[in-house]
Amino acid sequence: MTTHKKIISVGYDSVNPIKIGPRLPLVFIGGPCAIETYDHSMFMAENIQKICEDLKIQWIFKSCYDKDCRSSPNSFHGVGLDHGLNILSKIRKEFGVPVVSDFSDVNDGNYIGEVCDLVQVPAYLCRQTSILKAAAKTKRPIHLKKGQFMSPWNMKNSVKKLEANGCDQILLTERGTFFGYNMLINDFTSLPIMNKTGYPVCYDATHSIQLPTSMGSISGGQREFIPALVRAAVALGINALFMEVHDNPSKALSDSNTVLDIKYLKLILSQAIEIHNVYLDLMERYGEDNVHQK
Amino acid sequence: MVKIMSIKNNKSIKVKDVMLPISEIPVVYSDAILKDALEKMSAYKIGIVCVVDQKNKFVGLITDGDIRRMLLTVQKPLSALFMEDVLDHISTSPTYVDPELSIDNATKLIGKKLVWDLPVVSKNMSLLGLFHLHKALEFYLKN
Repeated sequence: MTTHKKIISVGYDSVNPIKIGPRLPLVFIGGPCAIETYDHSMFMAENIQKICEDLKIQWIFKSCYDKDCRSSPNSFHGVGLDHGLNILSKIRKEFGVPVVSDFSDVNDGNYIGEVCDLVQVPAYLCRQTSILKAAAKTKRPIHLKKGQFMSPWNMKNSVKKLEANGCDQILLTERGTFFGYNMLINDFTSLPIMNKTGYPVCYDATHSIQLPTSMGSISGGQREFIPALVRAAVALGINALFMEVHDNPSKALSDSNTVLDIKYLKLILSQAIEIHNVYLDLMERYGEDNVHQK
Repeated sequence: MVKIMSIKNNKSIKVKDVMLPISEIPVVYSDAILKDALEKMSAYKIGIVCVVDQKNKFVGLITDGDIRRMLLTVQKPLSALFMEDVLDHISTSPTYVDPELSIDNATKLIGKKLVWDLPVVSKNMSLLGLFHLHKALEFYLKN
């Protein structure tokens, strides 16, 4: 069976929609893991915007107002719903760029879609029926991250939960898979498997190199592998690339061991764009992959 | 698909008189996964599952023989196989019969095709039931 490949559209009102899907340009989703302050968010958005304009890549600003899965009670928990959505709203107006945040409380589902162009379901909550239902109710496209504990084929269950609640705009993301304790591995077969649902797929390069809670009360990471993994994932045919970026990773209030220093962003995105263009050219000239098991 | 119509049907007993009705056979919708199909087969103790669309139009079928042969070739984890769409595994050209076909012709067809069951499908492709070898045997033993 050939699954009909879907294209999703991210952006509403004053923000021009970005199309994500097959045979389309690669889309970048990025920003600081957590919204830290208004000034910092604007600074990051401005600098990412410059890079993306130079490279002519469409992008979506990502930053979360609530970090509900911190390991330590002392870790930064986020600026909160009202303040966070207010900042995201100003960013989308100022830069004309779509914005995305995740949410972990079903009650937030009533508000997050009023601002965010794309609504993210966190990996740890990717099979929670109440969260998926609340996400679908926002009527926005949903960025559904594959749980580190989930098999890629079981993500179809989460997709069906979203669809059962009226959602037909989904982006599925690989972000690493648990390999024992405090360790993730990257199984890239997950990308074509999840793509078989018909929805576009994304690779989260900065969370995929995470070593979950390996530093006692916070997560570690091996960011030196980000460039190589990005090249591999893009060559495989992803539709969007996700990376959290920060101007000063060691001082980042969330995921300081995994966020990418913005000074590397242009280099990595440049390579990603070139490889994606080669991929599109190969598909155009040779057609889709057609090797079957039998 | 190959549709077998009655040709020399002089008998009054027809497939529709002895077929198992839909309520007694394994049927799944076309958006089901393979695990659903296997559960239906086990629940009804019949080694064939019919696949229909939302309007009950017959789409295809999977037999336990199909599954057995697949298990000998497929290398992926069982949990992955369970999650696959039934549409990826249905027979693309199954034999099915018209409800007006005589039981004699239907039984001959079962012998010719070396199958145990034949889906019974109306002229507008609605699934009506299953012509099952046990039911045919029952009929012949009684008569």
